[in-house]
Formats: sequence, C-alpha cells, structure tokens
Amino acid sequence: MHVEAEQRVFLLATRRWNLPSRNMVTALHALALALYLASEIMLAASLVGGRRGAPRWGTALVAGAVAVHAVGLAAYALRYGELPLVGLAASLSTLAFLIGVLLLGVAVVRDAGPVGLVLLPIVALLLVVAHILGIAPAGEPPAFRGLWFALHVVLAFLGYAGLALAFAAGFLYLLQFRALKGKRFGKSFRFFPALETLDRLGARALVVGFPALSLGLALGWAWTVRFQRSLAAADPQVIWGVLTWIIFLLALGARRSGAGGDRRGALASVVGFLIVVLAYVALRLTAAEGRAFL
Amino acid sequence: MSLAVVGISHHTAPIEVRERFVFSPRAGAEALVRLTREGVGEAVMLSTCNRTEIYIYTAGEGGGGGEGEGNAGEKAGEGRIEQTIELLARQAGYTIEEARRCLYVHGGRNAAEHLFRVVTSLDSMVLGEAQIQGQVRAAYEQAAAEPPPKVVGPVLARLFQTALSVGGRVRSETALGVGAASVPSAAIELAKKVFGSLKGRRALVLGAGEMSELALECLTAEGVRTLVVANRTEERARELAERVGGTSVRFDELPAQLPTTDIIIAATSAPHPVLTRELVERALPGGPRHPLFIVDIALPRDVEPAVDSIENVFLYDIDDLYQVVDESLERRRAEVPAAERIVAQGVDDFWRWYAGLQVVPVIQALRQRAEAVRRTEVEHALRRLAHLAPGDREAIEVLTRQLLNKVLHEPTVRLKEAAADGNAEEVLEMARFLFELGEEKGG
Repeated sequence: MHVEAEQRVFLLATRRWNLPSRNMVTALHALALALYLASEIMLAASLVGGRRGAPRWGTALVAGAVAVHAVGLAAYALRYGELPLVGLAASLSTLAFLIGVLLLGVAVVRDAGPVGLVLLPIVALLLVVAHILGIAPAGEPPAFRGLWFALHVVLAFLGYAGLALAFAAGFLYLLQFRALKGKRFGKSFRFFPALETLDRLGARALVVGFPALSLGLALGWAWTVRFQRSLAAADPQVIWGVLTWIIFLLALGARRSGAGGDRRGALASVVGFLIVVLAYVALRLTAAEGRAFL
Repeated sequence: MSLAVVGISHHTAPIEVRERFVFSPRAGAEALVRLTREGVGEAVMLSTCNRTEIYIYTAGEGGGGGEGEGNAGEKAGEGRIEQTIELLARQAGYTIEEARRCLYVHGGRNAAEHLFRVVTSLDSMVLGEAQIQGQVRAAYEQAAAEPPPKVVGPVLARLFQTALSVGGRVRSETALGVGAASVPSAAIELAKKVFGSLKGRRALVLGAGEMSELALECLTAEGVRTLVVANRTEERARELAERVGGTSVRFDELPAQLPTTDIIIAATSAPHPVLTRELVERALPGGPRHPLFIVDIALPRDVEPAVDSIENVFLYDIDDLYQVVDESLERRRAEVPAAERIVAQGVDDFWRWYAGLQVVPVIQALRQRAEAVRRTEVEHALRRLAHLAPGDREAIEVLTRQLLNKVLHEPTVRLKEAAADGNAEEVLEMARFLFELGEEKGG
C-alpha cells in the first residue's frame, strides 16, 4: 500500500506544472540519440584524421547529449509519474544514460574521450531499441515501484554500465597493447589513450561496477523474497544477474594473476561483456511469456 | 682526382645490419690508416647510431661517378672505392656482394652534397636533430688528430670545415631545429603512450654519453621521480647523476634495480648487449608486474632483442623511434626548402674550390713556361743593354713581370671558371695544346 501512497504524493507534486507530452519525451530522446551519434561521428573523424586524443568538441557533444538525455528521462518521470526503471524501453534508456554519464566522466576527468568510440554505439543501440519499443511505461504491476526497487535497478544498471566501460577500455587496451608490441604506430595508436590510462579505467570500472552490481543483486533478492516470497533459481533474470556477477569476479581475478594480469583482465572484460550481451539475448529469446526481464 | 663516400645508414639497412658495420674508435682509426697505406689519399670515418660512412679522397684519380670528375684514372678511383667496400664488408663479416647490397656510394659532387645533407640533419632519422653536427665534428677532428702518416689532408679538411659551417648556418638561419624532436624526445613520447604521464616514474639510464645526458634532461623535464645512471666508468656515471639529482650504480647492480624501474634508456657504447633476456628474467621472474619500457638507442644495441618477448616488457630500438618522430616533424619539414638552399650554396662554394684544384697544375705549368720565356728574353735584352744603370735594369724586370701577370690573369680566371662549371677537361686540353704543356697530375 505504501507504494501507491508514494505514487500519489509524486503525482500531486507534479500537478502544479503542465506535464510534458509523450511526444516531448520521445523528441528529447531522439535529440539525445542524434547528439550521441554526432559525437561518435566526430570521434571517428578524429581517428581517421590522425588526431591525438578526442577533440574538445566531441566531449562537449557528449555533455550535451547526456544533458538532453537527463531532461528526457526527467520528462518521462513527470509525464508518467514513475521513474524510467520499469519496462524494457525505459530501462534501456536509463542504462544508456548511465553509460553516457560514465563516458562523460572519463572524458573529462581522465582525458579518455576515445573510449566513446566503443561506448557511444552501445548507447545509441540501446536508445534505438528503446525508440522502436516506444518510450512509455509497459504497464508493469505496481510492485515494480518504490525506493527498494529503484535502488536495485539503479545499482544493477550501474554494474552493467561499469562492465560496458570495462569492455570499452579493455578493447582499446588490447588494441594499444598490440600496436605497442607490434611497433605499429598508426592513427589508432595516436588517437587512443595511453596503455596505463586504459588499464586504470578498466580496473576502476570493475572495482566500482562489481560492488554496485553485488548490492543491486542483493537488493533484488531481498525485494523478491519480500514481495514474491521465493526466488526461482531458473528465473532468467537471476541467471543473467549471477552470470554477470561471476564474470565481474573472473575479470577482477584475471587482473590479479601476476605479470600480464593487466592484459588478461582487459581480455576477460571484453569476452565477459560479450558473453553477458549474448546471454541476455539468448535468455530473452528463450524466456517463457511473462518471465521477461529488464 | 677522386672524392667519394661509401656508407650504410637507416635509409639502406635495418638496425640488425647496421650494427655489424660499427667500428670502435680504435678500430675506426686503424681502418683509416690502413686505407691510406693502401693508396687512398685522405679518409674520414663517420660513425653514429644511424650510419657508418667513410669519406675518401685520392689525388690524381678520376672515378666516383660524380659531376666534375674526369674519366682519366677512373678505374683507379673505382679501385679505392672497392677497397673501402671491402674494408666495410670485412668489418661486418659479409662477403663483398652481401655488403654491396646495403652500402651506398656517392662520388664527386654527390659525395660533398651527401655530407652537407648529413651535417645539416636533412639526411637524419630525426630531421633537425642537433647531435649530428657534433658527431660530424668529432669524426673529422678525430681523423685529423691521427699521428703521421696523416689521414686527413687539405681536401677532406676543406670539405668537413665547409660542411660544418653550412650546418651552423642552417641551425641559425632556419627553424629546422625547433621543437623537441630528437631521439630521446621520441622515446619520451613513446613512453607516454605506455604510462600516460611520466610524473613519479623511476628511470634507469644506461651509459653516460651525450645521448644519455639528453635523455636525462628529457626525463627530468617530464617529472620522472627517480633517475639512476649506470655506466662502465663509475666516475662519469656519478658526475652525470649528480647533475640531474639522481644516483649512480655499477653495471653489476642492474638486476637489483630492475624490479623498481619503469623506464630504461640504453645508450652505452658497449660492443655487446648489456641487458640480456637471461638477466631480465633472473631479475624479474615471470616478467614485470607493471609495464617495463625499454628504449635502446645504442649501436650496436645494448638490449638483446629477445627481451621484447618477455610479458609486459616493451622494447624499442632506434628504427622503431623513427615512426614516432616522423609524425612530429611537420613544422620542421616546412624549413627543409630553406635548408636545402643553404646546402646548395655550400656545395657550390666547395665545388668551385675543389674543381679549381684540377686546374692548379695547368696554371702552374703555364706560369712556369711563361716565366721561363720572360726570363730568357729579359736576359737576352739586358745583355744588349749593358750600359743601363742597375735601377733601369730592375725597372725592366718589374715591367715584364707585370706584363706577364696581366696577360696571364684572364686565362687563369677563365680556367678556374671553366673547371667550376664542369668543363675542366675540355678547356685544360685546349690550354695544353695552345701552350704546349705536358700532362700534369691533378690535386
């Protein structure tokens, strides 16, 4: 009952202003998508042009995209009276937003904008799928609301965003490693960040993502036990969550495996992320009706 | 006359071939003496990390194939070049045919132009590098300082002095040397692609020569925390380390230094590798935990190439640095035309002087012949004018001498000009015919 009370308070608070329209929510998302794509094009052009590192304009575009995306998500919350955490389209948009925020952070703080070359297509893909599905509530039951649920989703998404960042950093690390060992100092070598910058980025993404995902999974487990009284081990959501958690653990373990651990950690992040994506697709395709997740 | 250069450089051979042609200073000096003993008139050896070249000059021979060299004695000139190729092949342990594949030969004006391009760094791996001028100067001074029998004579002395002066002009009149593009700065740039920032890193520099000093300066400027210098001569290592606020160690202490080292710059003149795979594996069992960046700018190389196969070790030699340097030279490339103009002027000046050497014997013969005629005729006239006072006799002597000088002045100038224009053979032949002069040896 307290979930419905929370919802009423939220709706009362938003009634003082004119609510954004559904079209406005969609338009803001479309604009964010366009800006993300523009950033990607700018990064790709910089790479082809043999530039050293990402241009400032590229980072500014990412910042603009993230800002518009944030406004779009806020408009969603105002329009529908719920956080964009429930339903596939809203969830994908939020996950894309979190990846965008992480990218902006590393571009500004670590001067590692070129990782956007890998991350921005992921962000764009998530937003495109969200657009196709229609960025609107999926009519999930009221149980999927409340602070506990929101925390569970946000933390789990932070974990997945961390894994995506570790994947991007790991991928570029492997390319840079190959260039440095093979003594091939071409355009990508000039454009991508230093090996240790990518290594630290990958390591921090794992170190931040792993506890976030762990906490998110624990909250999910607690939430399920509270509202559904039992946790089915065969639930695709549970399988996916545990698989991701194990991959985090393996990637962190690989990093601590002596000389060459940095490279093995990067490789584990790349392979692990691909496994997580493939597992998601497989589980969604095979999940029974009504057992869909994310 | 024959002026030529025989050599090998980064343009014609990779480092594993070039390092076979490196002479120690003593072996280099002995090689020059041997060449001159075997008939080469003058010889200078230039040996840097990118090249080994021997400049030779032999008077009275053609050959070399360059502009301005005549055909007479061409075979003899080629013989000197063959001698030099043979000497280099022997040093490298190659057959003459194998050596020929990686050696280049420039003769005559081309040889002079080549040296001018080398000294101005237009032929360098790092365009605009400052070190090459010092290396050319050292090569010339070392050869010139050889005790008799002398290996440097007036031609190579003039060639190297003019080249060094042209090198100085290029540095002062163009911006070819601006910016930080040098071998050590390229190494730093590559290190930054591994570590990001070099602040707080620990660097070990092997060797205490000019390159090591430059590397230490670059590392200090990048904020490297700890600098360690290792050198065969402890005193020199200590002196250099103190200058940059670092410490010095002996070579046998290297294994103990490796576990805490991030960057190694190797620039010793040791004839064999100082850092072997076995030594690194012993010091770092299983490989370093963090990247170990090694730049080997020595020739012969200080670091065994097999070290590169160790996990987490990034080893680069001088050829690898070329790729890094190449991209940061845009501004310097814009200065190349201006530098080329100065080089062309320098080559013209030298060549005018050098070509003039060919006509000197003819001019001398012409003057001697004219003087002999004048003396005979004056003596004959004075016998008939015995009544003249000594002052008057002296006036006749001065008058005829001045007359002779005035008459011969134009032909002398024309001969020198013709030689400078590359028409020496034809004009000299004509002069010999007109004045009934015999064959004179050039130079």
